[in-house]
Amino acid sequence: MNQDEKARIIFQPSGRRGQVHKGLTVTEASRQLGVDIESLCGEKKVCGKCKIRIEEGFFEKFGITSSKDHASPWQKEEEKFINEEQRAAGYRLGCCAKVEADLLIFVPEESRAGKQVVSKAARDIQIQWNPAVKVYYVEVVPPTFENPLGDLERILDELNREYGLKDLDIDYFALQKLPMRLRDNNRWKLTVAVWNDKEIIRVLPGKVEAYYGMAIDVGTTTVAGYLCNLATMEVIDTVSMMNPQCKYGEDVMSRITYHMMHEDGLRKMSADMIEGLNTLLAKACEATHPPKEKKRGKDEQEADIVPEAAEALEEEEKTCLHLNPNDIVDMTIVGNTAMHHILLQLNPEFVGLAPFPPVIHKGLDIKARDLGLHTNQSSYVHVLPNEAGFVGADNVGVLISEEPYKKDEIQLIIDIGTNGELVLGNKDKLISSSCATGPALEGAQLSYGMRAAPGAIERIKIDPETHEVDYKVIGRDAWKQYSKPEEMKTKGICGSGILDVLAELYRSGVLLKSGKFNPEQKSSRYRKNANNDQPEFVIAWANETSIGQDVVITQKDIRQIQLAKGALYCGCKLMMRRMGIDKVDKVKIAGAFGTHVDREKALIMGLFPDCDVEKIISVGNAAGDGARAALLNREKRVEANWVARNVEYIELTVEKDFEKQFMQAMHIPHMKDKFPHLKDLVPEEVLNQK
Amino acid sequence: MGTEERRQELLKALKEGVVEYEEDQVEEAAKAVVEEGFNAYDAVMNGLAAGMEVVGDLYDKQEYFVPELLMCADALYVGLDILKPHISLEDLGDKPKGQVVIGTIQGDVHDIGKNIIKMMFDVAGFTVHDLGRDVPLEKFVEEQLRTDSEIVALSAMMTTTMMGMKKVVEMIKEKNPNVAIMLGGAPVTKETADLFGADGYAESAGNAVQEAIKMITRLREMQ
Repeated sequence: MNQDEKARIIFQPSGRRGQVHKGLTVTEASRQLGVDIESLCGEKKVCGKCKIRIEEGFFEKFGITSSKDHASPWQKEEEKFINEEQRAAGYRLGCCAKVEADLLIFVPEESRAGKQVVSKAARDIQIQWNPAVKVYYVEVVPPTFENPLGDLERILDELNREYGLKDLDIDYFALQKLPMRLRDNNRWKLTVAVWNDKEIIRVLPGKVEAYYGMAIDVGTTTVAGYLCNLATMEVIDTVSMMNPQCKYGEDVMSRITYHMMHEDGLRKMSADMIEGLNTLLAKACEATHPPKEKKRGKDEQEADIVPEAAEALEEEEKTCLHLNPNDIVDMTIVGNTAMHHILLQLNPEFVGLAPFPPVIHKGLDIKARDLGLHTNQSSYVHVLPNEAGFVGADNVGVLISEEPYKKDEIQLIIDIGTNGELVLGNKDKLISSSCATGPALEGAQLSYGMRAAPGAIERIKIDPETHEVDYKVIGRDAWKQYSKPEEMKTKGICGSGILDVLAELYRSGVLLKSGKFNPEQKSSRYRKNANNDQPEFVIAWANETSIGQDVVITQKDIRQIQLAKGALYCGCKLMMRRMGIDKVDKVKIAGAFGTHVDREKALIMGLFPDCDVEKIISVGNAAGDGARAALLNREKRVEANWVARNVEYIELTVEKDFEKQFMQAMHIPHMKDKFPHLKDLVPEEVLNQK
Repeated sequence: MGTEERRQELLKALKEGVVEYEEDQVEEAAKAVVEEGFNAYDAVMNGLAAGMEVVGDLYDKQEYFVPELLMCADALYVGLDILKPHISLEDLGDKPKGQVVIGTIQGDVHDIGKNIIKMMFDVAGFTVHDLGRDVPLEKFVEEQLRTDSEIVALSAMMTTTMMGMKKVVEMIKEKNPNVAIMLGGAPVTKETADLFGADGYAESAGNAVQEAIKMITRLREMQ
C-alpha cells in the first residue's frame, strides 16, 4: 500500500470530513479532522473506549463507498471489547483499525470525548394546566354477596360518581393489572390514569399524585427531550442526543433519498430513531436515580475543560424520583415533516417532490407500543400535525408556543435549522414558508465547522484597526486575549460562532459587502492557501488549537454562509412583500442555538431585513416548547390542528423574482436594501460601501 | 465601416461591461457595433463571450459569487438581445453550433443554476429549447425527438429529484443513443452521473459555468 495515497473519511454524527493518509488509524485520522474519540489508554489497545462503527454501502450524499474491508484486518485485541454481533455490525476499535480506503465512520455517543453542549434547554413559557392524561384517586367498597359487581365496573361507577367521567374504556394491559392492584394490601384504593377522558391507561395502588410525561423534539440533527411532571408541570430534566439518522445524510433530502434508494431504508431509519428515543427515555429516567459510582476515568479526563462541579451540584439537588420508562404515561412529538414521516414509517418520497404534499396534516394518537416505544405499555404518543411538506410539526410547535395568532403585533419568526422555517403575521393572517439554508449555519460543511462542544469557537471579535481576532470557546470562560495560547484548546467553529464570523469580518472591513475579501488587509491572518490558492483568514493560530493546525475560514466557507443567510433574508422579504408590509413589530429567532444568537450580529450579517435591535428576541428551542405545551395542555393539541390548517404555506422559489431577490440577499447585509438601524453598529464607510 | 482600432475599442467595452456588470456600457457598445456596421457575431464571441470567460475565471477563484455571476449575465443578455438579430447566417455558416434541450427535472423548482447554463449555451450560439422547471420526465424525451437536439442538459437541486434523472437518461438513450446528456445541480456527483449513464457532468452551477466556458473557448478556437 502506498502511504502517500489518501482516502476520504467522514465522521458521523459530527459530519467532519477530509482526506487522510492511508495507513493511519481511525483514531489518528479523527484527530486530524478535529473529531475526538475517547482514548484512555493512549491507543495501547487495552481500554476499549474507542469503539467506532464502520458503515457499509454506497452513500450518495457523500459520493463514497464505505466498507469494513476498507480498514485493516481485525486484531486479536479487539475481541475483548467487541462481541461477535457488534463485529458483524461493523464495530472496531479506533486505535486498531487502519484506514485503507474510503470510510464512513459512526462514533457512538460513549466513544465521543467532547460532549455536546445542550442548547435545547427548556424555557419558561406560560402553559395552562390541562394534560391529556390526568390521574384520579378512587376508593371503592369491597364486593359483597349483595353487590358482587366486577372490579372494572366498580371503579367506573366510582369515577362517574366522583368525577363525572362517563363511558370510559380501559386498555387491555391495564385491565390485566387491575385486580391485583385494586386488592393491594387489601386497601381497595386506586390511582387511575385516564387518557383524554376516554380510556384508562394505568392503575396504581393507593394514592399517587405525581405522574410523568415526555415532550420530544426530533430535529434533523439534534433530538431533545423534556421529562415533565404532569401534575406540577415542572421540567425534571432535559436530555438530548444527535439524531441517529445522521449517518444516512445530514439533511432531510438525503434521508428521503436513502429511503428511495434502499428497499429497507425507511424501516431502518425509523428503527434507529425509535431505538434512539428509547435510549433517551432511559437516560432521562436514569438521571432520577441516585448517581451510581462515578464512571471511571472519563470525568477526571474532562475535568479541565467542562465545569462539572456546577452540574454535580445540580445533580444532588435533584430529588431522586427513581423513575423508569414505565412511569412515563404520555408523550408528545414534534419534528419536521420528513422526520415525522420517517419516524412513523409513512412514505416520505412525495414530501421530497414538488409540490411537496405530506401524507397527513392532522395530529395523531398512536399507542406507544405500536411504535415500539418503551414508555408505559398502555400509553399513547401524540404526534403534532404538519403544516406542509417543508413546514412540519416542529413549526406547529413553534406556533403554539409563540402564539402569534393571538397578537395584534406582526411577528416574524425565524426557526434556524438545517431547514429554515419562517412564519409571518398576527391574529388576522399568518403565512409560513421554508428555505433551504443547509447545514452551514449549524457548523457542518465548513472547513473548520463543528457542533457546539468544548473547544468550539462561539464568539468572535475582530479589531477594525488591526484585524486582530479575539474569541471565546465553549468550555472556557476567558477570552483568548486573557489566556495563554495553549489554554484555548480550540478545535473549530460552531453555529453561533459562524454568525459572529460573518458579521465581524464584515464590520471590521476584512470582507467587502459582496463577501469577497477586501484587497486592503491589515494583518497576516489573510493569506492564500498554499495548496489550492484559495483566500482564507486565520481565526486561531495552530498554537492555540488542540488539532495542531490553524483554524481558518475560507472564501468558500463564506460563500456557504452567504447562501444560507441569503435564503433566509430573501424568504423574510418575500413573505413581507406578500403581506404588503415593509417592517415587522417583532423578530423572533428560534432554533437549536436560538438562545446563543447575538441579535446585533444577526442583524449585521443580514439574516433578515433591517429592524430595531430592541425588537429582536431569541426564543430558543420554541419547537420543543410547543411539544411541552401540547403535553401539559390538551387544548394545545386542538389549537395545533387548527393552526396547522390555517397558516397559509407559500412556496417561495416559484415567486417570479425569487432569483433576483435571493441573489441580492447574499450580500452583507444586503446588496440594495438600506439598514438604518446599523448606523451606530457598523462604521459608516463599511455600511455605505459601493 | 469602422476601423480595426474602433473594433477593438468596442470589443473591450463589451467585455469589460460584462465583467463589471455595467449594463449601460454593454448596451451602448452593442448599439455602436450595429450602427457602425461591425460584425455582430464577432462582437458576441470576442466581446461578450470573452467577458464571460473572465467572469468564469473570477468565479473559479471565488472572487465572484452567484450574485455577481447573475449580474454579469444580465449585462450579457442586454448585449445579446441587441446583437443576435444582426448575426448573419454566413457568419454561422460552418461554425459549430447545435441544439440543446434544457430543463430542471420534475419535482424540482430551483432553476438558478439551469438559467446560468442556458445562458452559456445561448452565448455559444446554440439554439436552446428551455423547458423551464418541474419538467415531466417524458417531456425531455419528446422535446429531444421533436427538435433532434444533440444535447440534453438536466438540472436538479435536490437529491430526491436527482433520482428522476436516471429515468430520463434511460428513456432518451433508448430512443436515441447518440444524444449527449449532461447532468448538473448541487446533489449530482461525478459518481452519480456515471451511475446514471450520463455523458457529461457539472459539479455545481460554478463548475457547470466552467464546463460551458470551456465549451465556448473550444468553439472560439475552432472558428
